[in-house]
Amino acid sequence: MALNASKVGTSYPSYTYEVSREKIREYAIALGETDPRYTSAGDDCVAPPTFAACFTVMRGSALIFADDDLGAHHKLVHGSHAFRFGNRPLRPGDEVVCTPKITDISARGANEMMTIEIECQFDDSGEHAVTSEAVIVFLGSAPTADTSEVAQ
Amino acid sequence: MSIEVGTELEPVVQASNLTTSTMYAGASGDFNPLHYDQDFAGQVSPTGGIIAHGMFSMGLASRALTAFAGGPENVLEVSVRFTRPWPLGTTSTFGGTVTEIEDGIATVQLWGDNEDGTRILRGTGRIAV
Repeated sequence: MALNASKVGTSYPSYTYEVSREKIREYAIALGETDPRYTSAGDDCVAPPTFAACFTVMRGSALIFADDDLGAHHKLVHGSHAFRFGNRPLRPGDEVVCTPKITDISARGANEMMTIEIECQFDDSGEHAVTSEAVIVFLGSAPTADTSEVAQ
Repeated sequence: MSIEVGTELEPVVQASNLTTSTMYAGASGDFNPLHYDQDFAGQVSPTGGIIAHGMFSMGLASRALTAFAGGPENVLEVSVRFTRPWPLGTTSTFGGTVTEIEDGIATVQLWGDNEDGTRILRGTGRIAV
C-alpha cells in the first residue's frame, strides 16, 4: 500500500525531552567518546552532537507511524540523516520541545521516501536547539514502479 | 592546528559486535532486533545477518568530526547517507577531509569504510573554525 502523500506538511503533537547527565554519559560511552566533558560531574558537562538521536529518531517516527491514515509499514530502512544545531550544545537539565513533521513523500522506483523533520527548541528560551531530518525508505510500496518523484 | 582544504580528520576505527550493538540500542533507545537478534535478522536483514545501527555509524563519523572541530560547540551540522549495511563482527573506519573554508566555516566530506572495502556511509559536516 502506498503512503498517503496528502500527509506532507502535517505536524504531529510536540513532546518534551529532559536532558540528563547520566543519559549523556551512557550515550558517550556507547560511542567510545573520549572528551571528558561528556562524562563530567561538573558544570562543564555537554552532550555530543548526535546525542539528539536519543530523543528524535525513534520517538518522532513512532508518533508519525502511529497515524492510521498515513499507511506506514514495517518494510523500511533508514536512508539518510542530518542534524542542524543551534548556538550551543545540549547540557544536563535542558528541556527541549520537539515537533515532528512530514516534509516530503516521494517515490523512487518501487520504493517511497518519507522525510521526517523534528524541530527542537529550548523550552525556557524558545531558541533553536537542534533540527533532526531523517529520510526513511519504505521498500516496495510505491504506487507505480516506473516513475520517479511522483507523489506530492 | 591549522586547517586548510585537504586537511584530514584523525580517523575513528570501531569494531561492531553484540556488545557495541546492545550498548548503542540501550543508549539511543533503538531496540530494533535487526541489530542484535540473529533469528530476526535472518528474516529481514539485507545481508541475512545482524547489522549495526545506521545511527551508530553516524555517531562515529560525528565523533571524528567533533574531535577535529575541538568540541560540540563548533559543530554546526552533520548530514550522512547510509550507503551500505555494516555487518556485525566487522570493523569500520570513519574519517573525512576538509573540502572548503569560507566565512569561518569549514565543510568536511565524511566517509565510513568497512574492512571489506565497501563504503557504508557518506556525508558532510560543517564546523566553525
